[in-house]
Amino acid sequence: MTQLLLFNVTNGLIIGAFYVLMALGLSLILNLSNVINFAHGGFLVIGGYIAYTITPYIGFWGALLLAPPLTAVIGLAVERVLIRPLYGRDPLYSLLLTFGLAFMIEDGTRFIWGPQGKPVTIPAFLAQPLSNDLFFITGYRLFMVAVVMIAVTLLFLLLRYTRLGIRIRAGTLDLETVAALGINVQMLRSLNFAVGIFLAGLSGVLAAGQLGLEPTMGTGLLMPSFIAIIVGGIGSLPGTLVGGLLIGVASGLTAVFLPAASEAVIYVMMAVVLLIRPRGLFGEEGMMS
Amino acid sequence: MNVLEINNVTKRFGNLVAVRDVSLSVAKGELCAIIGPNGAGKTTFFNLLTGQHAPTSGRIVFDGRDITGTPPHGIAHLGIARSFQRTSIFPTLSLLDNVWLAAFARQPSWRGLAWRRTDRYPELAERAMAMLDEVGLAGKAGEPARAISHGEQRQLELAIALAATPRLLLLDEPAAGLSPDETQKMVALVRRLKGRYNIILIEHKIDVVMSRSDRIAVMHFGGVIAEGPPAEIQRNAEVRRAYLGGIAPP
Amino acid sequence: MSAESTRKLIALAAIWITLLLAPYWMAPLGGYTALATRVLVLGLAAMSVNFLLGFTGVLSFGHAAYFGLGAYGAGLTLKFLALSTPLALVAGTLLGGVCGAILGTLIVRRRGVYFAMVTIAFGQVFYYIAFQWSSLTGGDDGLRGFSRQPIDFGFFKLDILSSADNFYFFVLFCFALVVAAMGFILRSPFGRTMIAIRENERRSRFLGIPVERHIWIAFTLSCFFMGFAGALYALVNNFADPRGLHYSQSGDFVMMAVMGGMRSFWGPLLGAAVFVVLQDYLSSVTVNWMSFVGLLFVLVVLFFPRGLLGFIQRSKA
Repeated sequence: MTQLLLFNVTNGLIIGAFYVLMALGLSLILNLSNVINFAHGGFLVIGGYIAYTITPYIGFWGALLLAPPLTAVIGLAVERVLIRPLYGRDPLYSLLLTFGLAFMIEDGTRFIWGPQGKPVTIPAFLAQPLSNDLFFITGYRLFMVAVVMIAVTLLFLLLRYTRLGIRIRAGTLDLETVAALGINVQMLRSLNFAVGIFLAGLSGVLAAGQLGLEPTMGTGLLMPSFIAIIVGGIGSLPGTLVGGLLIGVASGLTAVFLPAASEAVIYVMMAVVLLIRPRGLFGEEGMMS
Repeated sequence: MNVLEINNVTKRFGNLVAVRDVSLSVAKGELCAIIGPNGAGKTTFFNLLTGQHAPTSGRIVFDGRDITGTPPHGIAHLGIARSFQRTSIFPTLSLLDNVWLAAFARQPSWRGLAWRRTDRYPELAERAMAMLDEVGLAGKAGEPARAISHGEQRQLELAIALAATPRLLLLDEPAAGLSPDETQKMVALVRRLKGRYNIILIEHKIDVVMSRSDRIAVMHFGGVIAEGPPAEIQRNAEVRRAYLGGIAPP
Repeated sequence: MSAESTRKLIALAAIWITLLLAPYWMAPLGGYTALATRVLVLGLAAMSVNFLLGFTGVLSFGHAAYFGLGAYGAGLTLKFLALSTPLALVAGTLLGGVCGAILGTLIVRRRGVYFAMVTIAFGQVFYYIAFQWSSLTGGDDGLRGFSRQPIDFGFFKLDILSSADNFYFFVLFCFALVVAAMGFILRSPFGRTMIAIRENERRSRFLGIPVERHIWIAFTLSCFFMGFAGALYALVNNFADPRGLHYSQSGDFVMMAVMGGMRSFWGPLLGAAVFVVLQDYLSSVTVNWMSFVGLLFVLVVLFFPRGLLGFIQRSKA
């Protein structure tokens, strides 16, 4: 029994780590620019496919390092051309745009790389389980969690100590004042978007190794990311972090007792949070609109 | 009995004291003006009266009833109407509809809310037209509100507040952003309303305020530093120091 | 009668004549009656979404859930309860509407993108349920095994099952009922308060309008309308699709409203017609129709946000 429990909770934490990576990127973009990036899953897919494409030339580690920034560059271009014109307007339009973009990306990847899943090779030493007892903890899973932890730490360091990070945080609270202080808000939004997409691309590379690569893999991760943000509290990055882990673990735990409901439980959690503490665990009053 | 009694009202936002121990009363038919430099707490004070914030301490008594902390839509039903410093109207609705809506919302019974056609409320339409007439916009009743000039929008702002048949009218800088000519018109308008409504007026422009107010309260740094009839205020040295800045009285 | 209201009357007459004669003018143009029926139902759904989106200004993006609920409600009724089309329609409408009413209470305090996110997430709950509860709903394959029943008026039976034309007129009748209801509501003081809330929520509050309550009412009404549209849709295909509950379906409805013109009453119907025809054509011509639909979204948002009717209104002015 404890084996099973341990297995599922660990699994849950690993999945949760994954949700965290996705949700953080989504949250960054949402908080500063008030844009719900429906195409976030699409950028995950792009990250994965770019990694797949360049791995033959520079190997797994090279792909891990290069694919996310490349994805971020694509994100920058998208933001500049498609999303920037929409900032002043009703948030409806950016919603619809990223929505359409998601379609285009999914179909586009299908067109370029074909509808079949692509095999992704990961370094052999990572594919080994840690020990025979803990067979479910493969090196790769640990590696994934490690990468997520590093990425999250770097993100928080960026936000806390760099100029860009401080400006992003200030902009989230009051963009008008930030602009009045002479800071180039356009550039800020673009860079913020790029950081968010970087995280999505990174998720894609990691996911490719774990789940296999196919055009539809991004959409399944979008909803849990949403819920992680709602549960953790809109406007709060630590909240998103906690939210992602929570729903991952809850999902894992439920899988022990009621396997069919493991996906449903995250929706239930969302409903409970909305009923009891609508602003989310770490959300602040007034961040709701 | 005074229409409105404000007793020792204070509002703190964290460490910032926006309104400090303010007391004021408005008698029937009075036009009471609140003046003071920017940041003195005048608009925050209005926000307390209209329920946008609840006071940290103190009481607000309206017609003998304690209304401290009542939320905005409750305030409206008590008969307190407000105009805003930054024009706050419904741009795509016609002028008539803007005012009509205000009149409708104040009705005790909302019969026919979902099915009666809006043109089947003759009393309301009449009242709305009367209010537009009062502010001088009757000729443009059918136009969308975003199509009229800024000055006319300020007048519409006033008409909306009047349409609610208020027991107490709160005017927040009605002359904000108006040219000298338009300001004159607004002054005349406010003068016409005096006596028929109980009014509290926040204003920056002294000529609007001095000539016709019954009483003036001067706010500075959240507190009232002087209160009394215009002549007294003009003579008050402290007020002059804080606000009038040495400008000779008219 | 003023020139303005004469113009409106003529436009209205033109619309209804076009709709009444659809089975006759569609065939020569390469269309077919069932397509018109589909457009009518989807148009109704788009108009219901617009009731909330365009007129109250509320960003509800998960509205397809109530459409799907209506479809399943109708299908399940026909399959397990009674072979009665009217009952199925009522059941579907109630299912969609009541769920909307309940969920509405949870979310009316939120605004903007938060509201959108929550409506999407809730919508997905229903999608998930439809998928998982496959013993009842047929899961991924959808709900089958039912069909629309002829309606017995006592003195004659309206065969809507085998006659596409009959069914079209039946749907048109239902459409007319709902559209009339919408029109009444929008013309009433409540309609005014809806617009007021859209234009200036703070001011509305200060006038004494109970904003949250009105948003809830508008939300609930539009969910009832959506449920009805969904129920009709189940009858169109004799099939209820879990994908009808997915947020991408919501996106389609919103797009129809935007394409047709959000600020106009009939715009969404026009948008639905264009969207359906375009999507049908694209999926028959290329395998990558999805990217073209996505491209359509992007182009409309960037270059055509006021939609077709908004465009026409502007060139008149």
